[in-house]
Amino acid sequence: MTTPDAPSPDAAPDATVTAERRLHPMSWLFVLVQQLKQFVLPLVALLVFGRGDRNELWPLIGVAVLVVLSLWQYFTYRYGVAGDRLVVRSGLFERSLRVIPFARIHNVALQQSALHRVFGVAEVRLESAGGSKPEAQMRVLKLEDALALEALVRHRGATATESSSEPESTTLLALPFGEIVRLGLVSNRGLVVVAAAFAAIVQISQRAVMDTFRSVGKWLFGFAGEHHFGLMQYVVSALALVLFAILVLRGFSILLALLQYHGFRLSEIGRRLTVERGLLARWRTSASRRRIQAWTLTEGTLHRLLKRRSLDVDTAVAEEHQQQRALRELAPIATPADCDALIEHLLPRAGWTQLDWRALPTSNWWRLVLPTIPVVIAITIAASWRFGAWGLLALAWLPWAGFAAHRRARRMAYAANAEIVAVREGWWTRHWRFAELDKLQALQLTRSPLDRRCGTATLHLDTSGAGALSPPLRVRFLPHDDALALYASLSRTLARRPLRW
Amino acid sequence: MADHDEAAAAAIPPADWHPLPDRARLPSMLTPMLPFAIPGLVAGFVLAGVFDLWLAPPVLALVGLAIGAWIGLKHYRSTFWRLDADGLAVRRGRMWQRETRVPATRVQHLDIKRGPLQRQRNLATLIVHTAGTRHSAVTVPHLDAGDAERLRDLLARPIEANDADDDA
Repeated sequence: MTTPDAPSPDAAPDATVTAERRLHPMSWLFVLVQQLKQFVLPLVALLVFGRGDRNELWPLIGVAVLVVLSLWQYFTYRYGVAGDRLVVRSGLFERSLRVIPFARIHNVALQQSALHRVFGVAEVRLESAGGSKPEAQMRVLKLEDALALEALVRHRGATATESSSEPESTTLLALPFGEIVRLGLVSNRGLVVVAAAFAAIVQISQRAVMDTFRSVGKWLFGFAGEHHFGLMQYVVSALALVLFAILVLRGFSILLALLQYHGFRLSEIGRRLTVERGLLARWRTSASRRRIQAWTLTEGTLHRLLKRRSLDVDTAVAEEHQQQRALRELAPIATPADCDALIEHLLPRAGWTQLDWRALPTSNWWRLVLPTIPVVIAITIAASWRFGAWGLLALAWLPWAGFAAHRRARRMAYAANAEIVAVREGWWTRHWRFAELDKLQALQLTRSPLDRRCGTATLHLDTSGAGALSPPLRVRFLPHDDALALYASLSRTLARRPLRW
Repeated sequence: MADHDEAAAAAIPPADWHPLPDRARLPSMLTPMLPFAIPGLVAGFVLAGVFDLWLAPPVLALVGLAIGAWIGLKHYRSTFWRLDADGLAVRRGRMWQRETRVPATRVQHLDIKRGPLQRQRNLATLIVHTAGTRHSAVTVPHLDAGDAERLRDLLARPIEANDADDDA
């Protein structure tokens, strides 16, 4: 058996690996915790069935195997720098050598759970574009080592991390307590908690849920029945209940926002953006400014009441299940002026505040109503079935939908200049979606039969890493001639500019 | 009707838009046949089970096949591609027209697929991958095999130039 300490000759194809480093000595503990999370069901099963067989050692053996595996990973995992690339070696029998050029790393994420912070360590993930897994994942490094690695990526391997050439870190946005409370108010995170709690209770015991429902029902209706509530009392108590539910949800939302966004700071070192946040668990994620693929500025109704907006970005890092892997929220909540200033600062050549917004013809407003009509009809039919003629009241939604569609059509606009292309949509909830021309990947011009009748077309602009939930970068109801002109000019520009991502 | 004229105009595109070769008609018709026949068959079996109509499954499967073939034929007639200085453009659909353009600088990698029927008819399917999300793979089905390889080689050239740039 080769000793794991011996540097293997094939470790660095072109340059010698300087000073290989290991994970933190306690890393086995965190690997173990991670694996226990995965194996918690089998282990519980072992515990349950093991007890039946009077063989209580089985789960312990399982844990022991996991401990050995975790230690194994600690002893075989090491990383080092070879020129402009990072070399990660792992495994002993099945050896793996991973060479990651620094220039290919799009995102560096440091994650510290409460347990990590007790030991002063952090989990590091290096991400490249695409791919469902991180390019490299160090579980775990000492915090200083993690920050040093992040600096290394920032300098693309030029090792002068201690030298004075380090540019100053400037804070672009910090969220004080009041802003985080506002963030909690506008977000629906509380709903997630309630849904998760509900799912957990259902998982644990379905009877508990039924009993709870029954007792609540008994309390409500029994109470109501005893006192012979009139219609007014019913309405008042229902309103009170709804109000209470909203308050509880918002309370949860604020609590969650505090947990996740406490101490939020967006800072810039050189060309790299870093976001730090979190109360108990801390996240620190950083990416180069040019890795940003597309931008979304949103303003919901509550945002507007509080005079705030939020600014999100897409990076090319594929995010599937873990939401906190990549740089995503530049400004979870900020005043419109701050958002604009941030965009101006990060896209200095785009002229964001002086964009020449071109409105789209309002005459197409009725097409925005079309998707709601089948839904309204279905609801009307269902309601009439249940409540008779009263069900027709559902049709009253249509005039409102028409009004809203008209308002939406009036706000729809697009802008394109030599640097960016931007789309604005929405009325109650508004969003602005934009991307640099260099970041566009493909164009699509579509015309439905309705489009042909109205003399319009839809232009879809595809960017990398666009989440399923982020609004699409597309211009609807664009007059056909304008669409053709924009399409042609964009495709010419894209063909001349190389992809930089 | 204005609609009809436009549809006809789309069917006879300018000279530099290439239609699919005649040999592609049969494979184009076959491709959507099964996806339509299977729901027909399932619906047929449901009808047969509920109303005791033993004829339903074969009849509905045949109807599905016919609809699939008809749709395939329409796809075949309304698919055009074009390669110009800017890159590759693919035009598909007649009712719902869509023209997708992949600039040559944005091509990530290229695939050529050839099924047995395509090999027999000297056809190939070209798939152009970009780093995008919604249009990350643009497919040109049932191209002439020679065209497909020529397109692949022409579109692959900027990638190599780009990579050489990166490493410099």
